Amino acid sequence: MFVRLATGVALLGALAVVPASPALAHHSFAMFDHSRTIVLHGKVTSYQFTNPHCYLEVDVTEGGAPKHYTLEMTSPNMMSRIGWTSRTIKAGDMVGVVVAPLRDGRAGGLALEVTLPSGKKMEPGVPNVQDFKRSQ
Amino acid sequence: MTMVIKTTMAAVVGLLASTALAQTALAQTASAQTSSARPDFTGSWERYPQPGEKADPRFAPSAIPDPALKPEPMEKYRANQAKLARRLAESQPAGDNYVKCLPDGMPAMMMGMFPMEIFQRPEQINITQEAFNQTRRVYMGETLPKWDEVDPSFYGRSVGRWEGDTLVIETTGIKQNVEFRWTPHSEAMKITERIHLLAPDYLQDEITIEDEFLERPWTYTYSFHRMPGYKLLEYVCEDNREYVDENGNHTLRLGQ
Repeated sequence: MFVRLATGVALLGALAVVPASPALAHHSFAMFDHSRTIVLHGKVTSYQFTNPHCYLEVDVTEGGAPKHYTLEMTSPNMMSRIGWTSRTIKAGDMVGVVVAPLRDGRAGGLALEVTLPSGKKMEPGVPNVQDFKRSQ
Repeated sequence: MTMVIKTTMAAVVGLLASTALAQTALAQTASAQTSSARPDFTGSWERYPQPGEKADPRFAPSAIPDPALKPEPMEKYRANQAKLARRLAESQPAGDNYVKCLPDGMPAMMMGMFPMEIFQRPEQINITQEAFNQTRRVYMGETLPKWDEVDPSFYGRSVGRWEGDTLVIETTGIKQNVEFRWTPHSEAMKITERIHLLAPDYLQDEITIEDEFLERPWTYTYSFHRMPGYKLLEYVCEDNREYVDENGNHTLRLGQ
């Protein structure tokens, strides 16, 4: 009986709600639209490998007019652990980026996937990336 | 004759002395063996389980219960949690330390946002969390000062001792604005951690918080898994472009 009870308690412990994942504790990425994505193709003006977030600045052409986008990535620490370095992208590179745009409509967003000049696709490790619905 | 006796006595005294020395040496060796037999936590660790990873029940951490706060702080805690729930419902972040580029402090730092490193020496143990380069220093064998004998800080003052294979760390002197899960606490809060290996590569930290704001101690655990060969990266909050504006909206400063 005691053994069964103890096992039951141990199982309960195992099934109990696991605390929110540590990576989520950082930012909720709530300012980005989770319901749609846009795809940008443009020229990198800067790739900033800093904490708390890396940023990719990209010049694109929209409807014949130039437009600048600021794209947030995750932290260099997270990105380093999945293969990114400070030299993965450099100013002048032509890239494609799948972006969850800012909800407030300004020209910015969260980079979900980057296509490098070599054609290689890399993700910057956004936590729960599956929660961002891809419309493009 | 007298000389022989004296010589003999000197020899006996010498023998006794050397025996005593040998015994002392033996005791020292035994003591050294005891301390070298302590588990060595030195190395890099990551929270276990990682997001998306299924925990082996043998090494799983506990759930974190709500704190059993006394009525007045409980009122504040509930108000904080309601505010947090509202903000989450509005798809806004909590406005926590990280958004302000501030480190966790204790005990929140032990949630292990990023990997951590333990550096163990007999007289001092340092624990570094990669996020925000946070380091706590645990002074072994020292007595915990009273809470009002130290200036409140993010990590407070920590002293440690061994109870068998378990490292017991006591911490006090945490700033009141350094909160874990938006839980109010007094400056007299005391954190007691019992850290031990569940298996050679699994570490568990049982954290118990005692405070005059609490009806009874608040206890929960975190588990960690070894990361052989992992070297901690630096973390400097260099360019924080996210901020919460005057309307409480989380927003992004755009670049050029």
